[in-house]
Amino acid sequence: MLVEPLHRDGHRMGSKYQQSLWGCLPLWALLLEVALILIFLLFTSYDTSSKDQKDLLGTFRVIQDVILMAALGLGFLNTSLRRHCWSSVAFNLFLLALGVQFTVLLDGFLKQLSLKKIVINLSSVQMATMSATSVLISAGTVLGKVNLVQLVLMMLIELTAFSTTRIVGKKLLNMDNHISMMYIHVFAAYFGLTASYCLPKPPKEMKQETQMATSPSLFAMLGTLFLWIFWPSFNSSLLDLLSERKKAVFNTYYALAVSAVTAILVSALVHSRGKINMIHIHNAVLAGGVAVGPACYLIPSPWLAMLLGLIAGLISILEAKYLSVCFQMLNIHDTYGVHYTFGLPGLLGGIIYVVLMAHQVMWTDISMVRYQVLTNLGALSFSVIMGMVFGLLTGFILSFKIWKPPYVANYFNGRPFWTSPYLAAGY
Amino acid sequence: MRFQFSLIAIGLEVTMIILFGVFVEYETDQITGTQSLSTHMNGSLDLYPLFQDIHVMIFAGFGFVMTFLKKYGFSSVGINLLIAALGLQWGTLVQGYLYSNGKKTRVGIRNMINADFSAATVLISFGAVLGKTSPVQMLIMTIIEIAVFAGNEYAVGARLLASDVGASMTIHAFGAYFGLAVAGVLYRPTLRKRHPNEESVYHSDIFAMIGTLFLWIFWPSFNSAIADPGVNQHRAMVNTYFSLAACVVSVFAFSSLLEPGNRLNMVHIQNATLAGGVAVGACADMVVHPYFSMLIGSIAGIVSVLGFKYLTPLFTTKLRIHDTCGVHNLHGLPGVIGGLASILAIAVGETDRHSMGRQAAALFTSIATAIGGGLITGLILRIPVWGPPADEDCYDDSVYWKVPQRTEHDYHFQEYGSHSHQEIEI
Repeated sequence: MLVEPLHRDGHRMGSKYQQSLWGCLPLWALLLEVALILIFLLFTSYDTSSKDQKDLLGTFRVIQDVILMAALGLGFLNTSLRRHCWSSVAFNLFLLALGVQFTVLLDGFLKQLSLKKIVINLSSVQMATMSATSVLISAGTVLGKVNLVQLVLMMLIELTAFSTTRIVGKKLLNMDNHISMMYIHVFAAYFGLTASYCLPKPPKEMKQETQMATSPSLFAMLGTLFLWIFWPSFNSSLLDLLSERKKAVFNTYYALAVSAVTAILVSALVHSRGKINMIHIHNAVLAGGVAVGPACYLIPSPWLAMLLGLIAGLISILEAKYLSVCFQMLNIHDTYGVHYTFGLPGLLGGIIYVVLMAHQVMWTDISMVRYQVLTNLGALSFSVIMGMVFGLLTGFILSFKIWKPPYVANYFNGRPFWTSPYLAAGY
Repeated sequence: MRFQFSLIAIGLEVTMIILFGVFVEYETDQITGTQSLSTHMNGSLDLYPLFQDIHVMIFAGFGFVMTFLKKYGFSSVGINLLIAALGLQWGTLVQGYLYSNGKKTRVGIRNMINADFSAATVLISFGAVLGKTSPVQMLIMTIIEIAVFAGNEYAVGARLLASDVGASMTIHAFGAYFGLAVAGVLYRPTLRKRHPNEESVYHSDIFAMIGTLFLWIFWPSFNSAIADPGVNQHRAMVNTYFSLAACVVSVFAFSSLLEPGNRLNMVHIQNATLAGGVAVGACADMVVHPYFSMLIGSIAGIVSVLGFKYLTPLFTTKLRIHDTCGVHNLHGLPGVIGGLASILAIAVGETDRHSMGRQAAALFTSIATAIGGGLITGLILRIPVWGPPADEDCYDDSVYWKVPQRTEHDYHFQEYGSHSHQEIEI
């Protein structure tokens, strides 16, 4: 009886939900866009130097792969909640579009530390897209508990923090482009987790909403597959030497292959009746790619990469299965399991990188080993700490009531954000 | 007419094969020496990745964008595949004939890209008549529209010498107005009230989003594929990229602004977010600043959202044109904006004023040809022998497809959904 009038008139449900849930969004978004256009008008110009056609198309290929991973892969990776598919995919696209414009400017200003004109070329676009990925990763921890205004705010803070981390790391800690970008996974994961820590928790009895249905979980598989296919491009794109690139592609490829196999095997193994859990597959399949990221150009032979993929897949699933209890005790709610997809495998990758670097230096100059280990460890922990500090800050700001966050009862429900007649009925 | 579709399709394909046998050969080069040959081969394969991107857009992008109807997913993706496959063969022939001055056509990667473009035109028009036509009608429309398109494209590109690198005018505006003209002639008064099948369900909209994302991701390739190599191509890529990004932000803002309760509308997100790519097409490779392309993208996005909100209902009720996918808002209006933007870009640039007239003429010619061709095509399609679906069977796959019966799984799924729904309402 209740369903009929709601079904006919979609916005009637507004009376039941909060009115003007995120009323300031149009104003905010328009202001931001106008500001961005003005800054672009005043401070940017295109790179006019002539360039080689081959290089140009090569860079363009990489950009396409990275955008595909960000827009399709990460967008659909986070669609396993039954009532949150639309919001996950669409908010992801919005954050990516806004984030790229913001990062291009930010990177340009931070690099020259003055207000000269920024020259835009394809590689600055590529860097910006890859940096913007950090927001899409952290969003996985908070999606369903925040509205788009809060996400935009998070994006602004997180991208500023990440660009600063990269610039400081490059200037003070000898990080190169590749390594500073590869720590994106740990940075984003811990940023998201600490931000999520400050937000109100969903009540314990909210099982219904978080349960998956068959077809949303299939959509999440689509995202996983796209990430899986294009991951070698992501890991190899910032390396300069051709030989390093080649090694990076091969190592990533093998690590991903092994972690996919491990994911399915172990998922069946840890279940009491040997059944495979789709959530494990979605995330653990990618763990190998994350773990091999920092060290992908240093690993000398495929078997090492494969071993790394095996370990990454293993810890990813074991954590999903057993450590999530720990998280509940710590009072952190991780919507899409970002910690076991990106957090722990990323840490593992960072440590492997430190070890391999030390190993490499050991053959040439034994006295340098300690220095090398210290700076590399410093770089890794710097990324993690920056992520945590700014995550806490963001979470604190996001928990204010002025952003009109969704009611706790409406968590993981995209319905309040969308108009459509049939959304009121069961779907 | 049981075998009508099969016979027409086979007949068309046999004709294509014969025509290819007579008129088409591979691109070969009169080069001596192995060294120069190998370098040259590399050069001609340079465009292959861009071609692949466009191929994904045509087959996956356009196909999935149209799957938003709840009972019409098979036809959207399937007929899309049929039209595109036939269209690119016919496009190769017609464009090859026009540009080769009667000699044999030499096929290279560039011809394949142009053939895909001509298929895109038909797919845009297909969006306007989606759900109201039979496969046979679509085959006929493909043949006629590509012939008209190739003629117009030749007139604009080779005779008027207008610049339209991302084909805002020759593909998008042309395809949209052609489709609208056909839809106007095929108007069914009984469908004036919303047909019960003409709506989406949650999952069909997610499928449509897959198409949107494919189109969004690969649009820079679409706009830069036939640009001059080097600086121009680079500019086309970056301009398109920023235009699309700005467009997304404005569309979200305006969608939320116009809907009651500040909610978002999935139709806007699926379609209007691409308007920036369409609108920047004509001036993508010109010397414009990044801010200019962002401005074009934002304006196109906003106009597109406004179009979906106010113009489409007006078209259906007042103008008697029923535009199923809203191609007028996604391709028509942004295409026109693109044409105007290219005139503006030339006006502020240092290039000669002569070319402003050329751009205006190109825009006018494209739209006029499209409407003329569309009206004639519509009249041909109205001949009652092509087996169009009855009014009550519109937007339904089961007329032309073998559709699986409901399985136990579906029942379970639905039960599960309604069950949980009630619990939440209480």
